[in-house]
Amino acid sequence: MKNFLKHHGLWVLFAAAVIAVVMAVMSVFSNTSSPLANLTGILASPFRSAYTSIATWFNDKQNYYQDNLSLKEENAALRKQIAEMEAEIRQARLDSEENSRLKGLLNLRDERQDLSDFEAATITEHTVTNWTSSLTLDRGTAHGVEVQDCVIDETGALVGVISEVGYNWCTVLTIVDTDTSLGAQVFRTRDLGLANGDFSLMGENRLRLDYLPADSQLLSGDLVVTSGLGGYYPSGLVIGTIEEVQKDDSGAAAYAVLAPRVDFDQLTEVFIIKSFELVS
Amino acid sequence: MRSRNETIFKWTLYFAATALCSFVQSFLLQRLSLWGVIPFVYPVVAAVVASYEGPVPGTIYTLVLGVFCDLLLPGPLPCFYTLIFPVVGLCASLISQGLLSAGFVCSLASSALAFLLTDGFHCLVLWASGKGAWAAGGWVLVREFCVTAPLVLPVTLLFQAVFRRTHLDD
Repeated sequence: MKNFLKHHGLWVLFAAAVIAVVMAVMSVFSNTSSPLANLTGILASPFRSAYTSIATWFNDKQNYYQDNLSLKEENAALRKQIAEMEAEIRQARLDSEENSRLKGLLNLRDERQDLSDFEAATITEHTVTNWTSSLTLDRGTAHGVEVQDCVIDETGALVGVISEVGYNWCTVLTIVDTDTSLGAQVFRTRDLGLANGDFSLMGENRLRLDYLPADSQLLSGDLVVTSGLGGYYPSGLVIGTIEEVQKDDSGAAAYAVLAPRVDFDQLTEVFIIKSFELVS
Repeated sequence: MRSRNETIFKWTLYFAATALCSFVQSFLLQRLSLWGVIPFVYPVVAAVVASYEGPVPGTIYTLVLGVFCDLLLPGPLPCFYTLIFPVVGLCASLISQGLLSAGFVCSLASSALAFLLTDGFHCLVLWASGKGAWAAGGWVLVREFCVTAPLVLPVTLLFQAVFRRTHLDD
């Protein structure tokens, strides 16, 4: 090899120079790359593709991992945001319901000037035995509540009467309880009667209207309100509507079955009438 | 003759078991309505304890339980349960001493009698106040006993455990 270069090196150098010049001239006058560069490119092309594929695969994996992490974080943040928004919606619903109740109460105050002093109360316990229909409220003597105070809902419908009061609690016997007895008046006919709780009807959330005049012409759906006679309870509080008129066991007297306006199971908040003016 | 400490220990355990039953009644059973009625565990407790403890301690226990119920529950009379529960206790203890030995069957029979007496007294008070409802009251009695009867077993097991723990020498 050493001898070959010694004897022919100059020729080899010359040939290389000629080839280089020829290739340079060809590359100047050709629109494509030189044959050698082209050949090199052809040989390198699969390797480049392989490198690119591998690099792309790694990049994809890296991006997937990063995206996954960021999506998890984003998902957690969105879940938190949804929970907060749901809590806000729930609160807004409660506020809306309370607003509606208070608006109703405001209308009632405007309509009924004789009912001057209300105390809003929350029901803490519903009926506790099978023999009574009662509610326990979170207001008591500390809030000026007294036995025999009437309890109404936001529409002015009568819920019941306070039967027992403690410092920060009170028990309400609903109008369907057997111990409840109220002076009542049929709104359309002005007939007077006595609305009494009846154990046979209590399970169905109904009560009786007794001592009706013999000639009373009651219709199903007639509105019955408190009469206010005697001054024990305010007048004009809605008790319910007449569902049917029946004869008593003796067959001599009639009584009406009343459906209360209030759905006791759905009640959550009520208003205690702490004082009222007698309307003559 | 029991020592004073043993007696205190025994009634403390009974008080704790009763408090547990009261907790279950207030926080669970009272919020259930099965077949249109609420399960009512207090007559069962009165009958079971009296059937294990005998006439005198059983009657005293049921008297205290009656006072507790009158303070806690609304009733047609201020002393409704104070009046009827000692009668329940006495009857339950007499059943356990004369007819059936204390146990699940005795508890079931005593509980049935307890509901009969308690709800019968309710009907009597309604009748006395001019609002008699014997048929409706009887129907409530049947449903109340039926929905409460499954509770006789856990209540019996609870108070049986207390009785055995406090009567090791018997």
